[in-house]
Amino acid sequence: MAALSLRYQIGAALALAVVAVAVCVHIGMVFLHVAPPNTVTKQHGKAIDDWIYPEFEQNWKLFAPNPLQQNIAVQVRAEIDVADGGVRTTGWYDLSAQDGRAIDGNLLPSHTQQNELRRAWDFFVATHDAQNRPVGLRGALSETYLRHIVRLRLDRVNAVGEGDVVERVQVRSRTTNVRPPTWSDEQVSDEATYRVLPWWWIPGDDQDATAGGAR
Amino acid sequence: MNRFSLAISSGIARVTESALGPYQTAVIRIGFTATWLLFLLREFPHRQEMYGPDGPWGLDLAQQLIKTNGAFTALIWSGGQFWFEAVYAFAVLTSVLLLIGWRTRTMSVLFMVGVLSLQNRSIFMGDGGDNVLHLMCVYLVFTRCGQVWSLDERRARRTREARARGELVAPDRVGPALWSVLGFALIAVTAAGRLAGDLTVPVILWGVWLALGVWWTVRRRARTAQPRVLLDVVGNIVHNGALLVIMAEACLIYATAGWYKIQGSRWQDGTAVYYPLHLDYFSPWPALADLLSSSGTMVLLITYGTVIVQVAFPFTLFNRRVKNVLLAAMITEHAVIAVVLGLPFFSLAMIAADAVFLPTSFLRRLGEWAARARGRLSRLVRRDDDPADLLGPRTPENPEHARVGFTA
Repeated sequence: MAALSLRYQIGAALALAVVAVAVCVHIGMVFLHVAPPNTVTKQHGKAIDDWIYPEFEQNWKLFAPNPLQQNIAVQVRAEIDVADGGVRTTGWYDLSAQDGRAIDGNLLPSHTQQNELRRAWDFFVATHDAQNRPVGLRGALSETYLRHIVRLRLDRVNAVGEGDVVERVQVRSRTTNVRPPTWSDEQVSDEATYRVLPWWWIPGDDQDATAGGAR
Repeated sequence: MNRFSLAISSGIARVTESALGPYQTAVIRIGFTATWLLFLLREFPHRQEMYGPDGPWGLDLAQQLIKTNGAFTALIWSGGQFWFEAVYAFAVLTSVLLLIGWRTRTMSVLFMVGVLSLQNRSIFMGDGGDNVLHLMCVYLVFTRCGQVWSLDERRARRTREARARGELVAPDRVGPALWSVLGFALIAVTAAGRLAGDLTVPVILWGVWLALGVWWTVRRRARTAQPRVLLDVVGNIVHNGALLVIMAEACLIYATAGWYKIQGSRWQDGTAVYYPLHLDYFSPWPALADLLSSSGTMVLLITYGTVIVQVAFPFTLFNRRVKNVLLAAMITEHAVIAVVLGLPFFSLAMIAADAVFLPTSFLRRLGEWAARARGRLSRLVRRDDDPADLLGPRTPENPEHARVGFTA
């Protein structure tokens, strides 16, 4: 920089100032984004969100403040129009248990086994009220997403025979506590709790694409 | 002059005169691209389900969500099968090319386009590892991460050597061609209104493209050295700023993870580590998990150790020796997490992020070791090889001078 004439030195100083400000603002914004809600984020939440979303969103509460202490399994059953007439209701398929088996002994679990259903269910729970009614667009999207996943998984386990048609599906979650460690004297219930969603009609494949989110 | 202003001016000299951390930025370039590449190869059989037009998170769902947040993804530009496969292949190809450091600056931008296109297409598919890659691929664009361990560096060295021997060096043709093609693509995409969402990515794409054009023009046409030096200084400033952001980001990751843990009762009573080991989704080796959690004291030590290391890490940066010890501990912990919790790509991404804090002497030794291993390998393959080649790529003594033609 010393080799530059004054005109170019001013240019370099300007660049330094701009980059320094940008770096400070960015680090500050990311800090406020990951910090707990506080005085500044309450006053300037909009500005922070505008800066962060969508490309700099982040969440580093990894297993924090407490790790999940329950196994949440997503299960599905279907009502099927059998090819030779009549209606059949299948038993419950434990899709999370299938994921768990796929992960067992696996050095490289796929996101389709580890994240897809797990996060789809989290997304569903986060965008629905206690009566399982969707909240806003994201609620509708999460419902369609979950329906697509269970439909795909039912096909994969050959729940539907040749010529049969899935009329409706029902999803539920089964939550069980992780048993406390053997050295601990803590007592938790062994009972499973269920969250049962209403039956969902399965539209035909051609309608399915347009039905997304319109419910 | 007093000591304060002296410190200021020497600081300014440092950040303008050179792009700091050439080995550190190169190792994270290699780390993040390798993580993404291995991830894409591993998920190749599942790519349709994860990002394809007919996957569960269908194109219409993605379009509706992106309409609300404006995230960048080339995958919603078309619902065609061919387009999807092309973008996936593009993501693989750009990660290979950035990994080996071919036209580093351009490839870093294309790598970012690949990462964001796939991740933003199906945001509910990712985890913390994807999140790290998402952020870092954007930050990498602003760094001069090809100063060492790259094809760019080798090309620059060969050009320099040829010039020193008095040979005539043909002007670079590939760079301008690449720039023109990408320019056409950028204009077409912008004209078609595909970049109408959030401004971050379009600004980066146009900014880098224009900057590369200016860089090339100034190098070829400027009559005095002054404009070129100025651009070099600006490049250094931007690089050093981005490097600081990358380091701050890594610190924020650990600080957030650590400080929030402190508030949790399970991290306080020393049983926290037991629980993830017994979740069906994070226990690929139940027997190993049982073994690890067979002793309550053991679990307590790991639980407290994790929190202590995460909270302490940012503060240890002020002491080289303590920092290196903690760095080793964290890299080890992530390597263990990769296997025990079944999170290989998350762990790889975190290890790559940690690597930005590795000491230069260690990285140089790593480089020499890699070069020797490569030499031995090529000796096995071609026995009649020129022995001079076996030493592998020599890293320049002073990488700051290894400036490369088209990597502004």
